[in-house]
Amino acid sequence: MQLGGVPGFRDLLPLEAEVLREAQESLLGEMRRWGYRHVITPLVESMEVLDLGLGVDQRRRLFKFTDQRGDVVAIVGERTVPVARLAAGKLRGTPLPMRLCYAGPVVSTAEGRFHHRRETYQVGAELIGASGPVADAEVIALAARCMEATGIRRYQIDVGHAEFFHGIMDAVRLPEDVKAAVRAALAARDFVGLESLLEGTPLKSAEHELLLRFPALRGGPEILKAASGLIRNKRSEVAVEELARVRELLLRHGIGDVVVLDLGAIRDFDYYTGVIFEGYGPDLGQPVAQGGRYDGLLAKFGRPAPATGFVVQLDLVSEVLASPRLPRIDAAIAWSGSGLSTALRLGSTLRLFGMRAIVDTEARGAAEAKSWWQAVGAANLVYCRGGSEVTWAVEGQRARNLPPEQVAARLAGGIS
Amino acid sequence: MKSNGAVSIALPTGVLMNDALSLLTRTGLVSMTAEELGRQLMVEGPGVRVILVRPADVPAYVDHGAADLGIVGKDILWESPGSHYELVDLKFGGCRLVLAVPEASSVNGPDTWPPLLRIATKYPRTTTAWFEHVGQAVEVVQLHGSVELAPQVGLVDGIVDLTATGRTLRENGLRVAAVLGSSTARLIANQASMKTRTAAVQSVIAKLREAAGLDR
Repeated sequence: MQLGGVPGFRDLLPLEAEVLREAQESLLGEMRRWGYRHVITPLVESMEVLDLGLGVDQRRRLFKFTDQRGDVVAIVGERTVPVARLAAGKLRGTPLPMRLCYAGPVVSTAEGRFHHRRETYQVGAELIGASGPVADAEVIALAARCMEATGIRRYQIDVGHAEFFHGIMDAVRLPEDVKAAVRAALAARDFVGLESLLEGTPLKSAEHELLLRFPALRGGPEILKAASGLIRNKRSEVAVEELARVRELLLRHGIGDVVVLDLGAIRDFDYYTGVIFEGYGPDLGQPVAQGGRYDGLLAKFGRPAPATGFVVQLDLVSEVLASPRLPRIDAAIAWSGSGLSTALRLGSTLRLFGMRAIVDTEARGAAEAKSWWQAVGAANLVYCRGGSEVTWAVEGQRARNLPPEQVAARLAGGIS
Repeated sequence: MKSNGAVSIALPTGVLMNDALSLLTRTGLVSMTAEELGRQLMVEGPGVRVILVRPADVPAYVDHGAADLGIVGKDILWESPGSHYELVDLKFGGCRLVLAVPEASSVNGPDTWPPLLRIATKYPRTTTAWFEHVGQAVEVVQLHGSVELAPQVGLVDGIVDLTATGRTLRENGLRVAAVLGSSTARLIANQASMKTRTAAVQSVIAKLREAAGLDR
């Protein structure tokens, strides 16, 4: 028997599981405060649905199988497409704009992802039916507040625009096959390949230089001025104007200091249609949150609507947060003889105050109770023998005999 | 990757190591000998932290953010594409990835290829992709060393391997039938380092460009 599980799929032990679940709750809590309603979409979707929204590579990485009716279905690899299906289907009567959020595991056959994980956890939010900078800024500000809500102290949000790239590709004077190669090189972040492609063409334009400087087109508002001096096409110009407006709004949202403008952001340009962004935590080699505007998706499900949203990679959040120790059990409550009823009552009281309390499953003598306390690793031991007083022990202090109500009050009040 | 610490750069052991180290030395960011680095594997220069790893491991260190930058042969990148930025062709460590066959073989240009070619290689991914691209059916046998032996003992029709001078091929009675690509050392960068530590990382990149004589 394989106790380790299938490669790429793993167990989350108490420390990791608790950190992950708490981060998920903080994220969903923040989203709810912004009026995003929680939906749960299934783990399995039909390929017919997923085909509408996913690119070739994403489709290839899905775990697929057939159900009894012979239809090909897949375990979801992301949840924006299922949420779009929902917005155009069961929720088609709901007026737009619609704010939805979701959380859950996603699965990929690729093993090359973070720590070779094939099952990861995502929390996402989608704002469907609103276009324009105000909606874009709302979603970016929400993403920033979400990162804060999880407890990530230092973070940065990179904001770019897919149309800036589309405009350049329209304007750049290159044969179609070279353009395709340029797109492929950029998608692979291969600037050596890009340079040799562009050098090989006799036609030089301002856009050439922009493409070559792509990774360096980032910074504060000055980068927008610098870029608008170089571009000669309407699409990119509009994109730069929109970015400037979004940045102003982000200042009003109070997150101006974490925003970096990134005109050279490289993302899935077939999917994104407008403002795009990524959130980075400290000391982590990849973005924790990713999102942007995808105005084309909903139309594929028969309800044309602009949309923007983002997803937070929960595994990465808990990687940044992972505290070295598991939160302690507050009280181990041991008992003997008629002390059981006092023990049970005390346990209930402590839990009412939000503390973590374990009541022993068997009667023990005083010495045994002490070693059980060590095994549990709780901060306090309360030993109930029956009678009006219990014995309360804290690490490094002398044990005291007190009435159970007093012990409860002192524990809850943090008085030792 | 530590946000406040020095920029870290992963160098490969093997043929590229000396050229990579002398390039770094010319930037003035480090002053260490190859022996020192080989002994300690991680050395703090005045300007950067240098980590010495196996060539095939450089992309992993960079993609996961354990190093901000890396120097690695293009041949390795063909085999393990990742989320890094490939920024600069450093021009040293030049070699070609070739299809080599025994001298006596009837295999020459594409018209002479049999319906199914059996190929031994350390580069299965690149080999498969290239032959798929030119429309030739291949059976790829992945080996981990002494690839030149495989055709001589009749295991395969030919090999796909790196060659700088062609000497090893000649010594083993092999000749070049096709060139799949040419490789040089590349500078790669972690995607997050480029964004969250822009100034520090870009300054190291600029110095490396300059030292490599590629100022732009």
